[in-house]
Amino acid sequence: MDRAFKRRLEGRFAERLTGPVRQRHDETEIRIAAADVTDTLRTLHDDPAFGFEFLSDLAGVDTGTYMQVVYHLWSDTTSDWLRVIADGLSREDPRVPSVTFLWKGAEWMEREAYDMFGITFEGNRDLRRIYMPPDYTSFPLRKDFYLADDSARSPGAGVRHMERVHDPRNSTPGNTLRRARA
Amino acid sequence: MTALARTWDHLTLPGKALFILIPLLALLTTGLIVVIALFGKQILDILIFNLPIVRFVFAATVLLLLAPPIAFVIIYMEMKIIALMNLRIGPDRVGPWGTLLSTIHGLKVLMKEDFTPTRADPVVFTWAPVVVFATMALSVLVIPFAPGLFAQDFNLALLYFFAIGGLTVVGLLMGGWASFNKYSLLGGLRSAAQIVSYEIPLTLSVVGLVILAGTMSLNHIVQQQGVYVDATGSHGSGWFLDWYVFRQPLAFLIFAIAATAEANRTPFDLTEADSEIVAGFATEYSGMRFGFFFFAEYIGVFIISALTTVLFLGGWNAPFPFPRISWLVDPGSLGIGLLFVVALVPLLGTLLLAAPFYLFRSQTRWWVALIIGFVLFNVVAGGLFGLWAYINFDWVAGLFWFLGKTFTLVFVFVWMRGTLPRVRIDQLMGFAWKWLLPASLLNLFVTALGVLVADALRGGPA
Amino acid sequence: MTTPTPTASEHRSTDDPRITLDEGVGVFEPIPPYPPRTEREAEFYTLGDGEMFINMGPQHPSTHGVLRVVLKLDGEKVVDLDPVLGYLHRGVEKLCENADYHQTISQVDPLEYISSLFCEWAPVTAYEKLLDVEVPRRAEYIRVLSGELNRISSHALFMGWFALDLGGLTPILWSFIERDEIVEMLAALTGQRMLFNYFRIGGVNGDLNHEFLSRLGDWMSRAVGQVEANTKLLNENEIFVRRASGLGVVDQETAIRLCMTGANLRATGIPFDLRRTHPYSIYPELEFDIPTRSEGDSLARYLLRMEEVKQSLRIIDQCLDKMPDGPIMAKLPRLLRPRPGRAWAAVEGPRGVYGAYAISDGTDQPFRLKIHDPSFIHLQAVGALLPGNLLADTMAIMASLDPVMGGVDK
Repeated sequence: MDRAFKRRLEGRFAERLTGPVRQRHDETEIRIAAADVTDTLRTLHDDPAFGFEFLSDLAGVDTGTYMQVVYHLWSDTTSDWLRVIADGLSREDPRVPSVTFLWKGAEWMEREAYDMFGITFEGNRDLRRIYMPPDYTSFPLRKDFYLADDSARSPGAGVRHMERVHDPRNSTPGNTLRRARA
Repeated sequence: MTALARTWDHLTLPGKALFILIPLLALLTTGLIVVIALFGKQILDILIFNLPIVRFVFAATVLLLLAPPIAFVIIYMEMKIIALMNLRIGPDRVGPWGTLLSTIHGLKVLMKEDFTPTRADPVVFTWAPVVVFATMALSVLVIPFAPGLFAQDFNLALLYFFAIGGLTVVGLLMGGWASFNKYSLLGGLRSAAQIVSYEIPLTLSVVGLVILAGTMSLNHIVQQQGVYVDATGSHGSGWFLDWYVFRQPLAFLIFAIAATAEANRTPFDLTEADSEIVAGFATEYSGMRFGFFFFAEYIGVFIISALTTVLFLGGWNAPFPFPRISWLVDPGSLGIGLLFVVALVPLLGTLLLAAPFYLFRSQTRWWVALIIGFVLFNVVAGGLFGLWAYINFDWVAGLFWFLGKTFTLVFVFVWMRGTLPRVRIDQLMGFAWKWLLPASLLNLFVTALGVLVADALRGGPA
Repeated sequence: MTTPTPTASEHRSTDDPRITLDEGVGVFEPIPPYPPRTEREAEFYTLGDGEMFINMGPQHPSTHGVLRVVLKLDGEKVVDLDPVLGYLHRGVEKLCENADYHQTISQVDPLEYISSLFCEWAPVTAYEKLLDVEVPRRAEYIRVLSGELNRISSHALFMGWFALDLGGLTPILWSFIERDEIVEMLAALTGQRMLFNYFRIGGVNGDLNHEFLSRLGDWMSRAVGQVEANTKLLNENEIFVRRASGLGVVDQETAIRLCMTGANLRATGIPFDLRRTHPYSIYPELEFDIPTRSEGDSLARYLLRMEEVKQSLRIIDQCLDKMPDGPIMAKLPRLLRPRPGRAWAAVEGPRGVYGAYAISDGTDQPFRLKIHDPSFIHLQAVGALLPGNLLADTMAIMASLDPVMGGVDK
């Protein structure tokens, strides 16, 4: 835990923080509003006092009531990981500015968060589904997604499977031959 | 009639085929015998009158039939040698040490579905492998395997070889274009670019040799690389220093590199680079059509090795002059004794070779010892017969040395495949045009200059 | 919900009956059968003069798994590319939300099937942070020992793959000998050859056993020679060196912007290795170097990984030397219920930084588990490195970045 780092963060981003700076083990966590993401991350990246040049991870989170986008940053100015939580995104229309202007590599991570949570990253040039098929209509990692709910709308719906249902009573060699001849 | 119908019903499919074929064959044989008996002399006259044509047709048939076995041998070599280089076991199931695996592959290819893609051009698609295979097989025609053992010998044999070899690219392009597949197209175009580029250094590197030899007949080139004694009617060999590889070392190097590219072998196997363009021009091919491409590739390796042997490594000449022993036993001189020799020698030999196994090892059963003795006798007799043939027949000795050298080169090709990665297309083209072409031109000029100077020193032009 | 999901009416699904084979040649083009969703997609799927698409994968001999790349070619030159993922997507993160903490370890295992231990290591460390568990020192040593072995086996496989994608047949089979020895000894330790499922929250599953140690000692006595024999096959090969050098060059600035980590980042000259820059486990107690190279090309990435193998051998030597006695598991209840909180843990794997972000809500199942896999990031970098190179270099650059599709498609 880097106490001085906490004080530096509080001194610099006092007006933007929407919650207390928390520290546990080797992690320091700040919460900001979605609108402040661009400015905050730009400051953290560009300011030599912080120097957070490495974006280690970008994750979407659905808390059940609202959405979050979580950034994990690394810098050699502190011994802690910095976790920036862009908090309080509405579940109906989660929108957050993209950080691809700082890290081009965030493009796919944002695509993944969009694919899984439906979070729109404004400014990402290529925000489309990355894992799920393009005509998929829901977002699998949301908390209101249950594993079965999307099957009716998925491209597989109504497609007759090629395999026959396995029934041990009908699987004698004679039956198989008869079925093949029929 | 009912009996016949019942028999027919009870026959299996091969049985039905034989049931028809055997009477048919008997009829045909009878007919043939009758025809020969009646018009034999006329037929023979016609054949003798058209001897070159007959010889050509016969040789072409033999070579076409020989092509698959050669390919099988090389495919097996490649599988086994690369496996050993990779520290694998390789083929070891079909036949002794897996030797029959490539033959089985050939049969498998025959049985596979022959598939044509939906939008492929069916005519061009079908003919492409035929063109490739035919050009490869036609190239074999001019190669002298041994003294007197060649299909055709004419003064433009080398030119013919390059001309026919260059036709291969047409087949590859046809296959690449007609497949309606972009990987095939890329493969076909790559092969066109590659083969056309490497034809030039390949041909130019040989021009120096042709200047020295004064002929393009492959037979004469081979004869120049050994002491050729025609007065006694027999062929003798000189030392290996007479080979052109020692008179044209640079040309040999260029020729070897360009030939590797011509045969589409690693490290120049860009046309079928499997990590880039799947299988190149052969991507959409299956069944026997793919088999033709496959055979053509390995026959290509063989003929390129054979040509290198012929041009630079002395062809069928032995690397050293071996003493000639006149030891031709005329079997006819034995008279009736021949009968006893034929009857007794195998029997006595088998017993003699079996005896130690039976006498000195008590576990061995008598019949096991007899089998061992029989096999050993065959090996010994075969070896002795081969030795006898080698000593007495020039063509056997020539074939021995020719195939030995050729398959050594084939081994080098396989070795390179096991060792080297693939070059990139720009490196490939750059190498051909920036290095090989100037080097072959240099070789040509130096050779020409050398010949001029030598002639001037000797006094008067050649 | 007003998220910009295109509605069904403006979509043309792939099983739309209106799309038939007779629709023209376009059917054979890898152009998606629906209107472009983003400007980038529209731009990519519009052909310029003399350009063509080529669809590489998902059934291609050398896509390292099930990857599909749509390449836009000008002759043999790659103009642009669009990787299409998801063929191996298993929804592991969702599965982990429905499994308890112990079960998630076996869920994340097959993500990265080449170096599974690092996939386990990151979430296990994150859970330990959530639970405030102190891991016994012997367990940490065993983790480092097995992890470094796994790193060597992964790098050995990388060498073979890279050579195979450049057309060399032999190196992959040589390197598999080495990998197989390591995999066998890890099987003796963990019970599995590939998906080890070995790390536990608070320790490891089993103690070092005789078979593992005897195999390890046997191998260590000839490991250096074996590694050098394998690398000699390629390092002194003119064709290999000429093809790999200057290929896919990435500078430091770009590498950081592309979020690259691991050997790919260190090949540009940045000594960023979490084992030193953000020490975890017992790495501060061990002596090893962080090799870096300044070229940033494919050859540098390859040589760097081979250098790392030697460092890993050093670490293994020290681990065996210093291995303490003691328990291999912390004392923990059977059913884990961490108090609500968040934890992020990252470890340095053979491909880069493996991270795990775990959120606990006080139940016995993680509320959210985000896995960060370096393969995902590095595959994205191909899009920046490849354009301008030749078709033949597609797979070479991809192999030099060493992504594993299991990790890319979570």
